[in-house]
Amino acid sequence: MVENRPFAAILSHVILIIGVVIIAFPVYVAFVASTTDPTTISNGQLSLIPDHHLIENYAKVLFEGTERSTKQPMIVPLMNSFIMAMIIACGKIFISLLSAFAIVYFRFPFRNTAFWVIFLTLMLPVEVRIYPTYKIVADLHMLDTYAGLTIPLIASATATLLFRQFFMTVPDELIEASKIDGAGPWKFFIDTLLPLSMTSIAAMFVIQFIYGWNQYLWPLLITTRDDMQTIVIGIQKMLTVTDALTEWQLAMATTILAMLPPVIVVVAMQRLFVRGLTETEK
Amino acid sequence: MAGVLLNSVGKTYAGNIRAVSDISFAVPDGGFCVLVGPSGCGKSTLLRMIAGLETITDGEISIGGRVVNQVEPMHRDIAMVFQNYALYPHMSVYDNMAYGLRNRKTPEPEIATRVAEAARILELEPFLKRRPKQLSGGQRQRVAMGRAIVRKPQVFLFDEPLSNLDAKLRGQMRVEIKTLQRQLGVTSVYVTHDQLEAMTLADMLVVMNRGRIEQIGEPLYLYENPATIFVAGFIGAPPMNMIPLAPATGVPAGILGAETLPVPPTGAILGIRPEHLHLDRGETALGDRLRLELKIDAVEAVGAETYFYGHLGSTGPRLVVREAGRGSASPHGIRAFTADRTQIHLFDKVSGNRIEL
Repeated sequence: MVENRPFAAILSHVILIIGVVIIAFPVYVAFVASTTDPTTISNGQLSLIPDHHLIENYAKVLFEGTERSTKQPMIVPLMNSFIMAMIIACGKIFISLLSAFAIVYFRFPFRNTAFWVIFLTLMLPVEVRIYPTYKIVADLHMLDTYAGLTIPLIASATATLLFRQFFMTVPDELIEASKIDGAGPWKFFIDTLLPLSMTSIAAMFVIQFIYGWNQYLWPLLITTRDDMQTIVIGIQKMLTVTDALTEWQLAMATTILAMLPPVIVVVAMQRLFVRGLTETEK
Repeated sequence: MAGVLLNSVGKTYAGNIRAVSDISFAVPDGGFCVLVGPSGCGKSTLLRMIAGLETITDGEISIGGRVVNQVEPMHRDIAMVFQNYALYPHMSVYDNMAYGLRNRKTPEPEIATRVAEAARILELEPFLKRRPKQLSGGQRQRVAMGRAIVRKPQVFLFDEPLSNLDAKLRGQMRVEIKTLQRQLGVTSVYVTHDQLEAMTLADMLVVMNRGRIEQIGEPLYLYENPATIFVAGFIGAPPMNMIPLAPATGVPAGILGAETLPVPPTGAILGIRPEHLHLDRGETALGDRLRLELKIDAVEAVGAETYFYGHLGSTGPRLVVREAGRGSASPHGIRAFTADRTQIHLFDKVSGNRIEL
């Protein structure tokens, strides 16, 4: 704001702080819970000060797993989720860059049709086409594989649209200059278009990594073996125990662990991410 | 080095829209040809056809004796300077200039020598490591020139390269381009809508209108002998004064000595450049001159010259007079001017063509 009014400044800060507290408090409680011993939680005596079982709980969750529910070390689903999110994010970016490149820079029959077909898939998320997709993946024997986990999620209308919009803002003269400089389409793509799209790619990577990381329904259907499970499903399975108390301190530790990679990705790419969504470098 | 030859070149876009038609001219080796005309006259399309960025639908273009209709831009041995420079924003100035050479597999030491030489000529040495974003408009313009120079092409193509610069820089760059082209002796085709640029740069001026050539020639020849009303009005600033003459109504009021002009039955346009009208010093004998009376309604004194604006015979067409020096006219009132008969132009009103006097 241009004006300098102390009251407005204080008020806006108060509102912001309230917002932050509302968002951050549950996360903090989860963190505190992950540092206590089982009895404290089951007694309902959770304090707001972290206890000293932090290393013990996290080590146990990562390398041994729960005693009563899944009994799986959580390092495996964490790795699975990471691999899945990486393949989905990179695959989406790769495919979308190529399809946007084709749609924007090449004249071929049914070019617009191709674009609209891609656009239409926006209205068909995985959940809508889940049965046919499952059937195909099962028939191709891709259940319980990384391919089965990721390939159906890779095709992305969102990323294609974003890159298409970006490519259309690249001045035509750049292509013409490239042509005269002796760069063919492929060289233009690699030497000029890719470096210019770096910020958009970073933004897409962040969004798609989180999208992949947070997948729930699809991995739930497609994976049956414990060693192919993703972390989101791992958490869910931890909570279902029969005739015993849920090991909340371990579940909370897993939750915190599950939150870390997306946070790291966002923090690491924040500068590029914001630039990619707001400005275009030309 | 090589000349550029256009042989009845035409361009028709889908939907039968004709952008240019029947263009033929030859730019001699080392010549500087300027295509000039109002926007939409097809001059840029023509340049892009020479560059290979647009397909040629009729006729032939040859560069250095080789027909290039089907040749890709990179194999035409041309370099182009774009209006918005089209520098690669993510590359340094050095890489921008080196890119075309690298794509042609020029050895790296050779590239370094050529870029250094271009940078020296264009005074870009301190900026080689910078990105285009960190340069001023004039410097970017120079980088675009540099990118063309390092390639040592047979032909330079310029697409309104100066129109994004401010007036002062434009004048400066104009001189630099001219000097550079002389120095390098590379055949150049230059597109502009600015008649001043066209006049000062060209060895050979091609005036275009509505996709056709109006006239080709040396700038001063076109200035002195415009073949059509369009050329007469386009070249020269302020533009030539146009006075309609109709045989039916006789000579308009305020003009003396025009009775003997060979006006065709359909009417004519009398053209007199502002600089060819002079204040009447009161000589009694009109001799070989025309005498025009203007009701002056504005006078602009800019120091070196004075402009008089007024209406012929107080209600006739509006005319401009450029008089050298500070002038002495009171702003208003009726003043008489004379024009030498050898310096006036007459055009057919219907066809627009020149009528020789």
